[in-house]
Amino acid sequence: MGNHLNGFKLYFHPEVTPGPKEEPTFDPLLGFPEGRKPREMKVTEAEMRSAKLPLRDRDFCAHLLIAFKDCRQREMPFVVKCSHEKHEYLNCKYEDYVIRAKEYERERRLRVKREELKMRQC
Amino acid sequence: MSSLIKLVRVTAPWLKKNPSSLISVRHHWNKDFKPLPYPKTFEEKAASAERYGIPLAEYEPYPDDGSGCGDYPKLPLEAVEHRDPYYPWDNPELKKNYNEVLHDEYDFIREDRYNVNYKLHLPLSILVLQYVSVMGGAYFLYWIFEYVKAFHPVMPPQLPKENKVYYTFEKP
Repeated sequence: MGNHLNGFKLYFHPEVTPGPKEEPTFDPLLGFPEGRKPREMKVTEAEMRSAKLPLRDRDFCAHLLIAFKDCRQREMPFVVKCSHEKHEYLNCKYEDYVIRAKEYERERRLRVKREELKMRQC
Repeated sequence: MSSLIKLVRVTAPWLKKNPSSLISVRHHWNKDFKPLPYPKTFEEKAASAERYGIPLAEYEPYPDDGSGCGDYPKLPLEAVEHRDPYYPWDNPELKKNYNEVLHDEYDFIREDRYNVNYKLHLPLSILVLQYVSVMGGAYFLYWIFEYVKAFHPVMPPQLPKENKVYYTFEKP
């Protein structure tokens, strides 16, 4: 993580470096004997469509975005009153980003492990 | 105001008749500025050299090729910018002495126009090399990062879909 020249890593070691558009290839429960908590979606597709959320915003923070937009509409033009909602939404987005980064690092480390196993078998 | 106009009306005919009495150089030209015809005999040459205040041995007119320079001396082409700024010139702002013979292209080689004797501070090959290396370095960076793009080391955005479960890293 924190590697801003990872393009070179992807170029020279494509077998151990996940690309920016690759999905996880390993079993998500691999190495979690007690299992993992699934992320839960708190609004339905119909609610998001009703709130006219753009497709890119229909993620696991959509319920907070809907609340924030609702607050903005309600308090307009004194939208500074919605700072609490905005803070919650941005915190949620940050946590989402951290989960994505962890997934990336998990994928990368599992790939490195797989390559090491291959080398050992040879 | 009317008295002024009256004065102009009274003086205008006289000024029209004698323009040189108002200004010595009208329309940037004066008959005294005009060079004499190209000197053909030795006497004419000597007279021209004396007229311009140049020793006869150094006097050399422009070739008589129809350029109209007449007997005007061919002076060395030296930029005014290269003249000594600390010399007590009569006209320090022009670096020029009174009654000095000026080069034929003086309006071109003046300090505020063009330096004909300009010297580069480094050899031209070094300057070209500097330009090529800077531009080439910039182009190399542009070219290499077209193929090797940086990206955030994260998985693509997790948008909930049918038959797709995303997990947190917490225990259930």
